Amino acid sequence: MEIVVNGAAHTLGDELAAPQMPLLWALRELLGLTGTKFGCGVAACGACTVHVEGRAVRSCVTPLESVRGKRITTIEALGSAARPHALQRAWVVHQVPQCGYCQSGMLMAAAALLASNAAPSDADIDAAITNICRCGTYPRVRAAIHAAALELRDGKAA
Amino acid sequence: MRRRTLLLSGLGAAGALVVGWGLLPPRSRLGSVDTLPHVDGEVGLNGWIKITADGSVLLAMNRSEMGQGVHTALAMLVAEELDVSLARVRLIPAGYDRLYGNVAMFVASLPFQPSETEPGHETSLVKSAQWIVAKVAGELGINATGGSSSVADAWDVLRLAAATARAQLLGAASLLWKQPASELKVSDGVVSHASGSSAHYGELVKNAVATPSGTVRLKEASEWKLIGTAAPRIDVAAKTNGSAQFGIDVRPEGLLYAAIRHCPMIGGGPGAVDTSAAAKMPGVVRVVRVGPYAGSTEALAVVGRTWWHAEQGAAELVVAWQQRPAGGLDSRAIEGALERTAKDAAASDGGFVFHSRGDVAAAEAKAAHRVEQVYRAPYLAHATMEPINCTAKVEGGKVEVWVPTQVPGLARAIAAEVAGVPLDAVTVHVTYLGGGFGRRLDVDAVGQAVRIALECGGRPVQLVWSREEDLAHDFYRPAGVAVMRAGLDAEGLPVSLRITSAGDAITPRWMERDIPLLAGPVDMPDKTTSEGLFDQPYGIANQRIASVATRSGVPIGFWRSVGHSHNAFFNESFIDELAHEAKRDPVAYRLALLGDAPRHRAVLLLAAQRAGWPGYGPAQPLAAGRARGVALHESFGSIVVEVVEASIEGGKPRVHRVVCAADVGTVVNPGIVAQQMESAVVFGLSAALYSRIDIEGGVVKQTNFPNYPVVRLADSPVIETHLVASTASPGGVGEVGTPPLAPALANALFALTGKRLRELPLVV
Repeated sequence: MEIVVNGAAHTLGDELAAPQMPLLWALRELLGLTGTKFGCGVAACGACTVHVEGRAVRSCVTPLESVRGKRITTIEALGSAARPHALQRAWVVHQVPQCGYCQSGMLMAAAALLASNAAPSDADIDAAITNICRCGTYPRVRAAIHAAALELRDGKAA
Repeated sequence: MRRRTLLLSGLGAAGALVVGWGLLPPRSRLGSVDTLPHVDGEVGLNGWIKITADGSVLLAMNRSEMGQGVHTALAMLVAEELDVSLARVRLIPAGYDRLYGNVAMFVASLPFQPSETEPGHETSLVKSAQWIVAKVAGELGINATGGSSSVADAWDVLRLAAATARAQLLGAASLLWKQPASELKVSDGVVSHASGSSAHYGELVKNAVATPSGTVRLKEASEWKLIGTAAPRIDVAAKTNGSAQFGIDVRPEGLLYAAIRHCPMIGGGPGAVDTSAAAKMPGVVRVVRVGPYAGSTEALAVVGRTWWHAEQGAAELVVAWQQRPAGGLDSRAIEGALERTAKDAAASDGGFVFHSRGDVAAAEAKAAHRVEQVYRAPYLAHATMEPINCTAKVEGGKVEVWVPTQVPGLARAIAAEVAGVPLDAVTVHVTYLGGGFGRRLDVDAVGQAVRIALECGGRPVQLVWSREEDLAHDFYRPAGVAVMRAGLDAEGLPVSLRITSAGDAITPRWMERDIPLLAGPVDMPDKTTSEGLFDQPYGIANQRIASVATRSGVPIGFWRSVGHSHNAFFNESFIDELAHEAKRDPVAYRLALLGDAPRHRAVLLLAAQRAGWPGYGPAQPLAAGRARGVALHESFGSIVVEVVEASIEGGKPRVHRVVCAADVGTVVNPGIVAQQMESAVVFGLSAALYSRIDIEGGVVKQTNFPNYPVVRLADSPVIETHLVASTASPGGVGEVGTPPLAPALANALFALTGKRLRELPLVV
């Protein structure tokens, strides 16, 4: 099976990459992209959030066959060391992560939100970021999303 | 006093097994140049600090990073005394030497009242008990991250280790350049003299090894450049780009994956097993029977080429699971029994008395008014975001373990036991922890992973529990019940307080499964059953604070803030009831009882002012339909007051704002303290609003986040943290914000509805 992850095409051996295998396990265990996390297996916590064609999806319930040939982006390619995403910079400025385990999913959910809504309100953020964080980073997640949105808007204006 | 004497003789007996004790001043925990392993290009100056050829500082990290910021806080202590930037400090694993044990955590586990342990005023009983426990803990070297104790434990030791290293490095420069050490300056690890000589630590360290430190002086607080600043955490970059490595992320060569199915009935096991369908599933390698390890329920594991394949195989297992011999656990029956036990003990002066003063019976007889209420709290799960996991490899008599653990030494011990190898044949790699909250003070999954690895022909195997297995087989926060009784005088102030609680004792259950060597045939009184009740700060002349330690059979463990997690709810809700009875403002009422507790008063006043509590500082009018509630609680050496602003929306409590004031002693990093207060508030809010674990027929009813809900971003309040300036030695930070949240919310809901909620979670 062919999938396109972070701009690179990968051929997964049919022996292991069954059509119904969730994308999460293919990313983590067949491709070694461990930034995307397992948290609940039932799409309830969002730790496994990735982008498929730019939209946030929960990869723990996304069968491989549904993403064949589609553009998948994981936390590893949200930004780069040289050019981090505005959200990643805001995450550092606001010192968002604690244990850090849910943060890949948080960032991917937030990035998908900003891609479709350049100036999200608090209510928009409430609705879009339904990821679970047991460390309680929520207030900082909210603040960092607003900050990144502002930075991205300013960048466009300039 | 009779029971206290018994307690101490118990400690003495345990201690007598250990010979060759030494006192434990910080100097005794510095280690030597040989404590850390020899690596080319690195020179060890003591058991904590190495300097590299390029002048970097390597710090032996003995504590686990689970979000609480300990890696950053401890690195700051060292950077401060060595006069280097935080960026110049790198962490290396600490290994297993006894000096890395957590002495502060064990000393803090003693059941003494704060008034007995005030520095300089300790009773001889307290001093001798602290001495014995410190020595036992030091000798055993139990390296644990828990009890909000890491900074307290490291405070003197790490600063002294760094200051001693600095003195040796400066001594080396002094000898080399023939200039007095007092004339040398250090800037980010570069030593210089006005004469023009200059060298970085890496250039001086070889000479420094043999240079005596002379008299070492720690910096005065006024000299600190880093301690007390909100320095950015050292782990944030890796936690924003997916590169931070948790236990579940390790990928040793040839890795296999294992899924697990425990007997659904806690404590039960498999009867007839048919593995044929599972074994035929694609990608399945084998099925392994897994016995009980460190308190776990028996299980079957399926090894696969990916975890998904293993999990698919596990779904095909056909097992006739058998109930534990004693019958199925039932949480409703247990909670009923706890209530009867507490009431019986309250009626008969029963329970172990953790604190007694004055004459409670006489005061009650004379009281103008009496109030008695029963409070309840349920079992709770930890639900760490990173599911329980452990990776193990057994090959050629050697064991390698990768695990997100709070207790690497105990992980090593159980790995050695299960593999049948000596301790020194086991290497434990501690990864980042995707949450801990006390769950990772247990090593059940380590035993399981090594057992499975023994069947994998030398290949490493990664055991990951599903969320369903995690919620069904946790070591739960125990359920608790307390009978609270107060006698009030004519003014409505309490003249007597009698608290009789019932609940399982955590420490002896944890010891018998995790440190069986230390578990005795008789349980010693466990502070966790009464902490937050017997040591409360209110000046009430007559008190009897007792607890009955029950044995309900449910696996229980340490859950963020431990006994304080429910005892604060009992105590601070009840004080609020008394204030209401007295027709007094809840803040004013508490202040009236804190005449001898200036630190507590200061925190309460700060919280009241910042929250806009009427009568304390600038008024902040509340939006319609909202009310405030307050709670004060001391735990782990720190005092926290929270003021909650709540309303009822759609028939459910909604928290809008939490103002948190704290005295945590000397603050190492106020940014991390604020983070931890936010964290503890949200954690406490989940428990207060939603959390309970129900067990029927031995089976936990909650299975995953949809029926074990936790607070999400949309429910999360605005949280403000304000710190009282303090020069006291550092108290705890990671847990201390959780206890006051539930009572502050319950008190706000009472102000809003007039209905007193005496059971968690809070249902209006």
